[in-house]
Amino acid sequence: MRVHNRIAYAFLAPYLLIFATFWLWPIISSFLISFQNTRVNPWRFAPSMNWGRLVGDPAFYNALYNTLIILVIQVPVMIALATVMAVFLNSPLLKARPLYRFAFFVPVVVGEVAYAAVFRLMFSADFGIINKIIGTVGISPVSWFDNGTAAMALLIMAVTWRWAGYNAIIILAGLQSIPGDVYEAATLDRVGKVQQFFHITLPLLKPIILFCIVLSVIGTMQLFAEPFLITNRGGPGGATETLGLLLYRQGFTSLNFGYASAIAYTIAALAVAISLLNLFFGRETK
Amino acid sequence: MAGLALTNVIKRFGALQVVHGANLDIEDGEFVVFVGPSGCGKSTLLRMIAGLEDVSGGEIAIAGNVVNDVEPSERHIAMVFQSYALYPHMTVRKNLSFGLTMNGNPKADTQRRVAHAADILQINELMDRRPGQLSGGQRQRVAIGRAIVREPQVFLFDEPLSNLDAELRVQMRVEISKLHKQLGTTMIYVTHDQTEAMTLADKIVVLRTGRIEQVGAPLDLYDDPANQFVAGFIGSPKMNFLKATIHAVGQEGVTAALIADPSVRLTLPISSRPDIGSPVILGIRPEHFSDAGTGEADLTVAVHVAEHLGHTSYVYAGVSGEPLIIERPESRHAGDQKTLTVGLPAKRCFLFDAEGERLR
Repeated sequence: MRVHNRIAYAFLAPYLLIFATFWLWPIISSFLISFQNTRVNPWRFAPSMNWGRLVGDPAFYNALYNTLIILVIQVPVMIALATVMAVFLNSPLLKARPLYRFAFFVPVVVGEVAYAAVFRLMFSADFGIINKIIGTVGISPVSWFDNGTAAMALLIMAVTWRWAGYNAIIILAGLQSIPGDVYEAATLDRVGKVQQFFHITLPLLKPIILFCIVLSVIGTMQLFAEPFLITNRGGPGGATETLGLLLYRQGFTSLNFGYASAIAYTIAALAVAISLLNLFFGRETK
Repeated sequence: MAGLALTNVIKRFGALQVVHGANLDIEDGEFVVFVGPSGCGKSTLLRMIAGLEDVSGGEIAIAGNVVNDVEPSERHIAMVFQSYALYPHMTVRKNLSFGLTMNGNPKADTQRRVAHAADILQINELMDRRPGQLSGGQRQRVAIGRAIVREPQVFLFDEPLSNLDAELRVQMRVEISKLHKQLGTTMIYVTHDQTEAMTLADKIVVLRTGRIEQVGAPLDLYDDPANQFVAGFIGSPKMNFLKATIHAVGQEGVTAALIADPSVRLTLPISSRPDIGSPVILGIRPEHFSDAGTGEADLTVAVHVAEHLGHTSYVYAGVSGEPLIIERPESRHAGDQKTLTVGLPAKRCFLFDAEGERLR
């Protein structure tokens, strides 16, 4: 039995080695680094330096504020949209269903740089199609990249476009697991389609929607590519700088790994806290 | 309460026709059972009555009103599904009251109806549980309760007992029968189990491949089946069928000789006049064999195996390769011998032509 175990661990060893080196150790290491002054050479143990700075850093609060704004606006909008898309995809009246399913999912597989470039072109103040379209209904052109609020709106739209389809596919799987005869029973109970949606579909989808929210919260807390690529490194003037971007700036531009590690742990802690809150408020009442 | 009338009802799924012109009258307060093998169209017919499937042709009338284009919710029917179809996130109480609440029924009346249904089905102690916390039988009661609170004109049951174990099925069968007596409402019940059909129904509708084969009271179908299919479907164990040919046609009736043993000839007092030599099927139920020498003919069979149920025994036997089941009441040694000779009482035998139609 023991020999068997040793052979099993020998087979697992390459994976465990890579897992420990590139996953486990960085997690431990960055926690230790967050207590170091990494602006001197060699690094010195300074437990309150990075964490102390975090508490009073306006750049951190700005990034936190931006991230929470995206979280509060984008996640609910996207999940609502994804639910509507899933219901649409699940409709028996829909023809060419695989085509729509593909169309909704395809943003996820598009490369971040490519989609960011397309969004920059579409939202260009001078020759972007979006300003042309809103111009046709009499709205004056918006400086999407120069106006902080507009840039934030653009970011929210981009992230929603990219991830709504992905969530819709997950919610669709949940919808398809609801037995059809429950709806038939409701129909015979004289419950209308809209009432069925709010009183049967939504409550039964709750665990799936919660799962999507938790995934989205984690994703939003780590949001980096969109503000980096679309709104030009969190511009204008830090108006779209997220925690992920601040971490990158501190770690890989200023090479201040201690502070970046403290930010990383804060992001992780916030993601866990918000996700737990979600799960707590969404739990089944016994 | 209301009666129903199906007139030449047809159902097609694309090019495939699954119900072929069903005609049926159901009296007010009657308990009607649709019975037939899988795929015979019985559930489809029930779902058409409920309005969950469109009618491709013909008319369905409830209480004299054609309901082909009436929404399911407006047909004043309630349905109990095979899978129960309870709302999994609601308590039993909410499951019962949900439809009424959504329709703005006065709260006091809803409470009264829910309490009444709970009393009838004895589910008072389950009211705050969810379906996931109930056994199969309890869920079935709740599903029936949900139908009761609607106070419908017609109850529809779609194989409601098929997910229950044998013991519970018998218990629920009795309860559904009691419920029908108590409420007096028209009930239509779909099953593939002929025992359920026989025990519950005022009227049985036997279906095969989308066609109604015979309609009648359970014992009428048992005693007087219209064709070989109904004869084989109604009764358990099923009727034995032996190949035979017409040996003679005379004033006393038709004499058939078994192909398996041509010396066994039996004259049935029927007025049909089939051609001599034409192939027929002789049908006799396992319970209708008599002791050797007491019927109009004797048949000797090879005994394969015997099942002793205490009060009776079933002998599985064969004659020249044709299988037979013979019931021998109070006979605990029926399987001891290699052969068994039994009597064939002519008045208990049926003749069917080559197409399976009854020769009368």
